[in-house]
Amino acid sequence: MDFDAILLARLQFAFTIAFHIIFPSFTIGLASFLAVLEGLWLGTRREVFRNLYLFWVKIFALSFGMGVVSGVVMSYELGTNWSEFSKMAAPVIGPLLAFEVLTAFFLEASFLGVMLFGWKKVGPKLHFTATVLVAIGTFISAFWILSANSWMQHPTGYEMLADGTLRATDWMAVIFSPTFPSRLAHMSLAAFLTTSLVVGAASAWQLLKDRTQPESRMALRMAVGMFAIVAPLQLVAGHYSGETVREHQPLKLAAIEAYWKTRADQPQSLVGIPDRDAAKTHYEIEIPGIGNLIQGVSKDTVLQGLDSFPREDWPVVGLVYWSFRIMVGLGLAMIALGAWGVWLIWRRRVDDAGGFLWATVAMGPTGFIAVIAGWIVAEVGRQPWTIYGVLRTADSVSPVGVGQISASLLAFMIIYAIVFSAGGLYILRLIARGPAPALAEPPPDGEGRAPGSPLAAAPAEPREV
Amino acid sequence: MPAIIEPPPGPDEAQPPLWKRLGWFLGIALASTLATAVVAYALKALLV
Repeated sequence: MDFDAILLARLQFAFTIAFHIIFPSFTIGLASFLAVLEGLWLGTRREVFRNLYLFWVKIFALSFGMGVVSGVVMSYELGTNWSEFSKMAAPVIGPLLAFEVLTAFFLEASFLGVMLFGWKKVGPKLHFTATVLVAIGTFISAFWILSANSWMQHPTGYEMLADGTLRATDWMAVIFSPTFPSRLAHMSLAAFLTTSLVVGAASAWQLLKDRTQPESRMALRMAVGMFAIVAPLQLVAGHYSGETVREHQPLKLAAIEAYWKTRADQPQSLVGIPDRDAAKTHYEIEIPGIGNLIQGVSKDTVLQGLDSFPREDWPVVGLVYWSFRIMVGLGLAMIALGAWGVWLIWRRRVDDAGGFLWATVAMGPTGFIAVIAGWIVAEVGRQPWTIYGVLRTADSVSPVGVGQISASLLAFMIIYAIVFSAGGLYILRLIARGPAPALAEPPPDGEGRAPGSPLAAAPAEPREV
Repeated sequence: MPAIIEPPPGPDEAQPPLWKRLGWFLGIALASTLATAVVAYALKALLV
């Protein structure tokens, strides 16, 4: 296996996982949003919650489907491109992924059918139960995937057998490895943030066209309330996650902060151009004396720099450094947007604040960008290891050639470009159309529209909500 | 055209009896699980 084949295999996995993570990071939050909407509809019987549910459930179904398709590809890649990793780690990783399928995926897939096709058949309460089960399923799914990934970040509870394969000696230590709780919290909050930003952007877009649209007025308030609460919480969860990185993956922390030298009282680098070869950051803007403070340790504590580790073990510092800053920068912008939105809601001006509505539209995709940037920090920062300290990436790949990996990478790029562009554009079209046409009840005055058709219950006059 | 995604029953619409609703609940869930399993085994059969 030469370097190019390894790089191609990594590129292929990066490409497919970057596509995949978009969907679960959206559907985890959206499933909970749907459960809240349906619960509110059951409790209040206000039409606005039902209409919002019917609008977002379509988008949920499409996103869920695309998430499944893009996820299946990755499990095959573990066999085709990463067979050495699979051979060595399957006894530990395999059961975690199998639990994900058995306890989460089947739960979601089973009750999604009730959610989509059974509201009249099962009645409101059982339908709500199905929605809640699907929402729980998305969290269980995140639990197992984060558990497997966290174990790869800091493996515990295993032993290596004579043939080089790994075996779990303590399943609780495997499942609840030290970085797992903070990473699960960080990812779950990221999913909520991503969803609330998309819901906020879709609602703001509708309000820019029609400031009286009742569903969008309600959804915007719910979204702003959500990201105003979750964004600051995410800052705390991110800091907690950073502390576990400092404790268990000091090399990754050194790359994130571009600590080239091991020392006490590290400065805090704000921006710059890290140069791995020269082991320095060019054009750096830094604040002296606060690096240790931000890491939650005293000034006298020595924080390891990259010089503490063999150079061949260094990750791509620039990519990790900038991905982290993009993630944090977007997170701070989300906090600011939340504060702005809450202030406007309090002043009863949120529907008429054009600047805020445009800003909310612009911030719509930032949850996805932050999630992908965060995963780049986590995964590139772990390099050159697939299982930190146990199995190097170079030793994980399958004995396949450049031609084979290039061909499959090209095929993925073409198929993904077609399938996901079509799916993504369709979702954007639905979002652009807005929630009102999603009404599905026939009008009481029998205007002659087909029952269940998109305009079946579109009202002629603005409604009271 | 009938709606693919079923809307909730209207306020005046009579609900089927509980046994029937539970039957639909379990039936749709089982059918969905089966559909997922069929796709999974079909994919596996294509690869093995």
